Amino acid sequence: MDGGLQREDPGASYFRESLRLRRRPSRVSNQLNRDSSSDEDEEEDEVDGEDQARELRNTPFSMALKKAVRQAQLMKMPVVSSSNSWKMKRSKILRQLKSSARDVVGYLTLWDKTLQKIGGNFGGGVQSYFLFLRFLVVLNFLSFLLLAAFVIIPSIIFSRVGTSFSNTSETLNLCADCAAECMEYEPNPQGLRMFYSYFLDLLSGTHFMEYTYLFYGYYSNTVLEDRNFSYNIPLAYLLTAVFYLAFCLVCIIARMGTAARVAVVTGGSTVGNYSMIVFCGWDYGCLGDRATKLKQRNVLYRLQVDLEEEALKRRAAARTLKQRVLLYSLRVAMFFVALGLIIAAFVGIFEATNFSQENRQEEGFLSLLLEYLPSIVITAGNFVVPMLCDQIALIERYTPSTTVILALLRAVFLRLMSLAILLITLWQQITCEGDTESQNCKLCLYNHVDYPCWETRLGQEMYKLTLFDFLVSVAVLVLVEFPRRMVVDNWSNKLVQWFGRQQFTVPANVLELVYGQTVVWTGALFCPLLPLISVVKFVLFFYFKKINLFNNCRPALRTFRSTTSTVFFLMVLLIGWCLAAAVVIYSIAEIHPSISCGPFRVSSNIWSIVPSSILNLSEVTQEFLFFIGSQAFAIPLCVLSCVVMCYVIVLAAAYGKSVSLLRKRLKMEGRDKQFLVKQIGELTRKLQIPNSE
Amino acid sequence: MGNKQTIFTAQQLDAYQDCTYFTRKEILRLFNRYRDLAPQLVPLDYTNQPDVKLPYELIGSMPELKDNPFRQRIAEVFSEDGEGNMTLDDFLDMFSVLSEMAPRDLKAYYAFKIYDFNNDDFICKSDLEKTLNKLTRNELTEEEVRMVCEKVIDEADLDNDGRLSLEDFQHMIVRAPDFLRMDWKYFNILYFHLFISLAR
Repeated sequence: MDGGLQREDPGASYFRESLRLRRRPSRVSNQLNRDSSSDEDEEEDEVDGEDQARELRNTPFSMALKKAVRQAQLMKMPVVSSSNSWKMKRSKILRQLKSSARDVVGYLTLWDKTLQKIGGNFGGGVQSYFLFLRFLVVLNFLSFLLLAAFVIIPSIIFSRVGTSFSNTSETLNLCADCAAECMEYEPNPQGLRMFYSYFLDLLSGTHFMEYTYLFYGYYSNTVLEDRNFSYNIPLAYLLTAVFYLAFCLVCIIARMGTAARVAVVTGGSTVGNYSMIVFCGWDYGCLGDRATKLKQRNVLYRLQVDLEEEALKRRAAARTLKQRVLLYSLRVAMFFVALGLIIAAFVGIFEATNFSQENRQEEGFLSLLLEYLPSIVITAGNFVVPMLCDQIALIERYTPSTTVILALLRAVFLRLMSLAILLITLWQQITCEGDTESQNCKLCLYNHVDYPCWETRLGQEMYKLTLFDFLVSVAVLVLVEFPRRMVVDNWSNKLVQWFGRQQFTVPANVLELVYGQTVVWTGALFCPLLPLISVVKFVLFFYFKKINLFNNCRPALRTFRSTTSTVFFLMVLLIGWCLAAAVVIYSIAEIHPSISCGPFRVSSNIWSIVPSSILNLSEVTQEFLFFIGSQAFAIPLCVLSCVVMCYVIVLAAAYGKSVSLLRKRLKMEGRDKQFLVKQIGELTRKLQIPNSE
Repeated sequence: MGNKQTIFTAQQLDAYQDCTYFTRKEILRLFNRYRDLAPQLVPLDYTNQPDVKLPYELIGSMPELKDNPFRQRIAEVFSEDGEGNMTLDDFLDMFSVLSEMAPRDLKAYYAFKIYDFNNDDFICKSDLEKTLNKLTRNELTEEEVRMVCEKVIDEADLDNDGRLSLEDFQHMIVRAPDFLRMDWKYFNILYFHLFISLAR
């Protein structure tokens, strides 16, 4: 080491040398130490062999060095007995089995390679959308299996084979003291119908589709009791629906937990922003000239946007008082304008739903249009209002990241509230606005004139929403995306080129998915086959969106951060779940079930089947269940969960504090090192100068 | 899974399996990729360990590297002579580190070496400027480059010496989940090329 006096501080070179030695991974030295002490314990050798191989791969040596180290390790291993050599062979075979099992799992995972290709070409943000879509497909499929196993298949079996059981008693209770009009329910009209009406019925779930397993009205309240086997279909129906919602909640929270953990560890999006972009921005999986150029432009854009945000912040801090007052009052005014727009959309939906319900008697395509009127108004509102809000956002002049979040929140609010308004309107009509003395509701406590089987009507509305959503997406794909691409590619007009190819906007697409899933959750109680329909719909969505992505879209310049975005998607999904849960709870607890159809036709509300079934259980179980439901259990449970939550929050705060303390210590140690190096340099200089004289 | 191949001895294959993240089949496929770059230079028999080095121009023409702005640094970091001319060992090493199975720490170490243009074990300002220019195709202005470099050093430099050491770099990488995308997802292109070469 020629750290001569004239070139550099010998202290500095010593410092660097020691750093370099320290930087060699200590795992290797551990492993070499373990080698030398391995003669005492032969039994550990085959475990060591595997560990050594794994560790050797992880060391950052060149291949030649790794092979030499491996040679040294092999020579140091003592002579193995036959049992040990069998153990080593077994561990090797196990390792190979594990790697081939990994391959098989990778093969079976749905759409794995496709997702990788999407991530490589379009980035993590778009990939997170497709991952979210895959999650929804799996969730809906599992839900369908749940519903099929406990509700649909038993119903099918009991309706076919029920009479062949000996000693069975099938209790089909009919309401003994209900008025005869309440029990009228004629889903299939008599007489000749036009041939195209079957197609219309398919789209709106009426007539021939209404009295099928698709909707609530077909299921009967059979209670099958064999010798050692009893199955209560109404109870199964209710409990399966409740369990299905709880299962979805657990899945969402579990997934959110893993995503949130990653987001917390990486400390949020603002810390280390520039270093992240520079060092982690490059995707080594990019292939091809075009993808590389796009990726470079992406990185450039991100850096420029961040620099611009800095400049904006500086300018914002330099505003005078008068400018600030003006800006804030403008923002408040724009907030009210946005709110007004959203409320206008709600009023439109309310009116459309009322109009559609009042004029249901027409035939032909006009009737189809009226059936779909609420869906049309909702979709139109969800298209127009966000566009107007974007224009409003230009006046508000928030920072770009705040603008994006605000736009998303507004869109979420609009979408989910539109659905809520539709449902509230329907309920008001079903319960005659709560007035049980009005003419339609007097007899059966619900509007039996317009809604002989109101649960089926709700199910039909959800079915129509799902179908319409899907049809609109397909129509947009065929009528807008492909033509736009063809126009942009073949017409070199400047205006057209400025418009350019479309980008794949992740937030809008995710909102669509969340809306669709909320509709499924809301409708599953009244339309048990809806999860299956939505599985098919989401699978087709995947392929259509993929085709659209690869053929028509260019990679977005502004990318969505993939970690925080997953958490955000799941939070929005959770909001949708809360809405669906509120709807289901209200339907179960408050509204009188239809008397003419469905498994709950004899109860006064859907939930009452549970207490009556509990009364059939044994004494001990009854007491236990009543105890769990009482205050003596619930209040201590609440208190306990509050305590646990406080503990976890305090623990998280403590970890955060210790992390920042460690970071400060690191900085201090660096400064200490520099100080010591300077001291060493001075001392060596002092010692050497007298020597050289 | 027969032992009919005569390219490597069994011990050589075992050694490669232990030193990389690949299985036997993948190692043989990678050997075919290596050989396809220069069939007249690379012999079919590696049992006596011939000393064959492919020049950087051939390595840099591979589809995975062709458009990557850091291709020269990648080849230099993984080659024995530091010039980008790679033996088969270096080639396997490079693919192993850049595959999906390599752990993040290993990739972080090599990423540091790739971004360290002057090989002084520190990423100083000039290294950062070169990295930025390669990332953005020289389209940032001087002022912007300077500001970004300052901000990066501000954020990541913990021992305050004005440049990033390996510890600073690793400490920052730990917080980046996106960093695991430093790999070649198109690894399945290996299979595609194998079919093509079999069809010839």
